[in-house]
Amino acid sequence: MAQRYREPVTPPGPSTAAADPLVADLRRALAPDRVRTEDLELALYGRDASGIDAGGRAAVVCLPETTEEVAACVRAARAHGRPFVARGAGTGLAGGAVPVGEPVVIVTTRMTRILEVDPDERVAWVQPGVLNLDLTRHLATWDLHFAPDPSSQQACTIGGNVANNSGGPHCLRDGVTSAHVVALEVVLPDGSVTVLGALDPEPGGYDLRGAFVGSEGCLGIATRVAVRLTPNPPAVRTLLADFASVEDAAATVSAVIAAGIVPAALEMMDARITAAVEDYVGAGYPRDAAAVLLVELDGLPAGVEAHAAEVVRLATAHGARAVRVAADDAERALLWKGRKSAFGAVARILPDYYLHDTVVPRTRLVEVLRRVYQIAERHDLVVVNVFHAGDGNLHPLLLFDRRVPGVMDRVHAAGEEIVAASLEAGGVLSGEHGIGLEKKAYMDRLFGPDDLDAQARLREAFDPDGAANPDKVLPAGARCGDLQRAPEGAWI
Amino acid sequence: MSGRADEREAVPPETAAGAEPAPAPGRAPLAVAPGPLRVDDAELAACVSCGLCLPHCPTWRVTGAELLSPRGRIAAMRAVQWGGAELDGTFVRAMDTCVQCRGCEPACPSGVPFGRLMEGTREALAFGAGRGRGAYQPWWRRLGYEVLGRHRLLLAGSTALAVAQRLRLVPERVDRSLPRLSLRRPRLRRSNVTGEPVWLFTGCVMDAWQRDVHVATIAVLEAAGARVRLPGDPGCCGALHAHAGLRAGAERLARRVIAALPGDDPVLVSSAGCGAALKDYGHLLGTPEAERFARRVLDVHEWLAARADRLPPPVRPLAGPVAVQDPCHLRHVQRAHPSVRAVLAPYATLVELDDEGLCCGAGGTYSALQPDLAAGIRARKLEAIGRTGAAVVASANPGCALHLAAAGVDARHPMTLVAEAAGLPG
Ligand SMILES: Cc1cc2nc3c(=O)[nH]c(=O)nc-3n(C[C@H](O)[C@H](O)[C@H](O)COP(=O)(O)OP(=O)(O)OC[C@H]3O[C@@H](n4cnc5c(N)ncnc54)[C@H](O)[C@@H]3O)c2cc1C
Repeated sequence: MAQRYREPVTPPGPSTAAADPLVADLRRALAPDRVRTEDLELALYGRDASGIDAGGRAAVVCLPETTEEVAACVRAARAHGRPFVARGAGTGLAGGAVPVGEPVVIVTTRMTRILEVDPDERVAWVQPGVLNLDLTRHLATWDLHFAPDPSSQQACTIGGNVANNSGGPHCLRDGVTSAHVVALEVVLPDGSVTVLGALDPEPGGYDLRGAFVGSEGCLGIATRVAVRLTPNPPAVRTLLADFASVEDAAATVSAVIAAGIVPAALEMMDARITAAVEDYVGAGYPRDAAAVLLVELDGLPAGVEAHAAEVVRLATAHGARAVRVAADDAERALLWKGRKSAFGAVARILPDYYLHDTVVPRTRLVEVLRRVYQIAERHDLVVVNVFHAGDGNLHPLLLFDRRVPGVMDRVHAAGEEIVAASLEAGGVLSGEHGIGLEKKAYMDRLFGPDDLDAQARLREAFDPDGAANPDKVLPAGARCGDLQRAPEGAWI
Repeated sequence: MSGRADEREAVPPETAAGAEPAPAPGRAPLAVAPGPLRVDDAELAACVSCGLCLPHCPTWRVTGAELLSPRGRIAAMRAVQWGGAELDGTFVRAMDTCVQCRGCEPACPSGVPFGRLMEGTREALAFGAGRGRGAYQPWWRRLGYEVLGRHRLLLAGSTALAVAQRLRLVPERVDRSLPRLSLRRPRLRRSNVTGEPVWLFTGCVMDAWQRDVHVATIAVLEAAGARVRLPGDPGCCGALHAHAGLRAGAERLARRVIAALPGDDPVLVSSAGCGAALKDYGHLLGTPEAERFARRVLDVHEWLAARADRLPPPVRPLAGPVAVQDPCHLRHVQRAHPSVRAVLAPYATLVELDDEGLCCGAGGTYSALQPDLAAGIRARKLEAIGRTGAAVVASANPGCALHLAAAGVDARHPMTLVAEAAGLPG
């Protein structure tokens, strides 16, 4: 066995965070090298994939490896009157893991053990830092997988998936994370450890597991997750349809669903993002298409073939210029790699993006998309659309270069209009990325005071002192008659 | 080695070759004040911080630390380059712990040229940004790199080391990471057969420590119809110098290599790290001559895979399965790793590692300079090798083979395996 690598530890000194008595307590609870205090490191945990800078930064960063260590971190933070923020891989797009103020940041990236796989019961217990794709790869031996497959699945953690109730292309039919989490061990905001949910099918009492999934780190930290495992389908067909207009592609989406077919995945990309993705993967995506649809059908071979033929017919009837069927697993994998790289590929167009995650009724897709393009044009911004078309979950990405003076104002103005357009069409704020910091200010457009109050009460029941990921999700004043502090310097 | 470097202009290196995308609304004018790092601003701006690189970074896998991830390192570079942050010890550690495996590059949908950013950052550190110039690459390291470029000295030193090993004069700690060096090196002979003319790049450490691989390579190439020419003294390719930020040294060695391998014949390389460096000479030197040279360079397996029908017959196919370990600079940089499989397939049952080409931790001088991290990274590789059940590992890079062998793995160069299975001398 190799000796274990240990990061150098900053000695306590007068000018560093290392002098904080909280740090001394944390270093007693964890190996000292897993409590980080250097300025640069703390700064790096001030951001996630959203690029949101809330003006806060980690007071100290902890990298626990066990449930007991997480509990010890939380207890130490609380003993010193500090809030704490859980963080997985930091691929979140709503700033959920971004510190506001100076919280203790508790990172799960060293909690990567798959503790137990029960292929008969189709359940696995995993630590929260296990990467989504690592889990699915590990399960291949049993011909099983973890169904939620966010496009970030190679990098994001199961804990992050749980906290954001994440979705993915294949959640159209299989459901998002909450449908695949059976039970959770969590460290509550007071540092105690409990299990929510249970392995038996009808656990008694309230479904607190259901409350925790999607709670964005505000109800505590998941330290072990029992995930449901899904058998790999016996047959899979992946189709790529190429359209001369976004409208035709959107109409095909509605037609497929109206025909009673629920594909395993149904994704759309518009012209610019398709070209950027093709530059990366070289999967044969048509560079001159106005939009492409990626449709996956799976199940028993006969049904899959029949549905595939029907999808080809519907796409052609709605003006598809061509429909390509992936010949083998390698080609399928390459097409998916392209789709799942879309956000990451935008710097081929412009270096920064601001992404919304609204969901609109499928019947209004065409209309909302048209408005999105108009809004971007009015603000002289590039917008690309790549999204889970099957469930109407839009991902308009406004592209820009933050070094251009004044561009952020235009981006925010356009973003606000896009959200408004989606809500006007009967949509909701977030399909899967969570509210975090980023969409907090919009919450009162969707929820009335009573709804917000009910959510705030649930949160209070778990976390009466507001120590777990404060200033996230619920806007200031969500709790009726109670004014919360607005985050300072948040750029929303 | 230093004189010319100080004459280098303080402008960032030129932008990536290829057309700039059409200017889009909202794109910044490129005139941004250059910071202390010798990196291209547009290349530094091209990271969207999505994090898809994280799982492909060996140091992130081992530590879980954002600082030791490509995204974190880029954020640190930006803090220095754009935010005026200090080049402090934490920054240097973030940069020094990078293996430069470049596994993050194929993983990056936006195509951030991370290797170039890292080389430019180390170049700035080596030439005095932040601390005094001796602080980052102290004299004894510079001396070590200097020896690589002086082949006779290297050969003599290697023989001395071989003797010292026999006399047990090498400290145990050092000896553990060294191969058992031989006292005598076989003589290399250029081909006296007729055939397709090719150059074999012989290099520095490989020629001194693993000349048997060259012998096997020449035998296989000849069997496949090549007439192999050997350069007089090409010396070191300069890869390690470029990785250490010693760019002037790398440029000097590159010019020497180009001069030692004249003409138009293909230049074949059996060390993945050197091959990647030779293929990058066009970018390093920026001259048309260097670009022409770079286009002649092929990994030896690439050349052979294109002539698979001429490979010698397997007279003694290898008994057990062989696991293919992809050297990072073959897979992530040259992206030529499939050719190793094409060449080896007739001689052995090949099995794949399930770690998506994650680095083994060798990284040129990395295993010596960052022994703990290198061992942690290697531990993951050993587990992946263990899962294949193969007793033999094929590795087309001498550094990887040595690093794995030091942990008890039977790691051999594919050319050695082919020569053995085809019953050729070697
Ligand atoms: C390129 C790209 C593509 C993406 N595609 C999708 C997609 O298709 N579908 C989708 O839904 N999302 C997608 N996302 C968003 C993101 O990847 C998901 O939200 C993911 O689940 C976040 O996981 P993480 O480990 O990175 O969490 P982080 O970003 O680290 O944290 C996210 C939130 O979870 C909390 N948290 C983390 N771990 C725990 C824990 N153990 N206990 C309690 N709370 C915790 C944090 O406090 C924070 O609020 C994408 C992101 C990127 C960059």
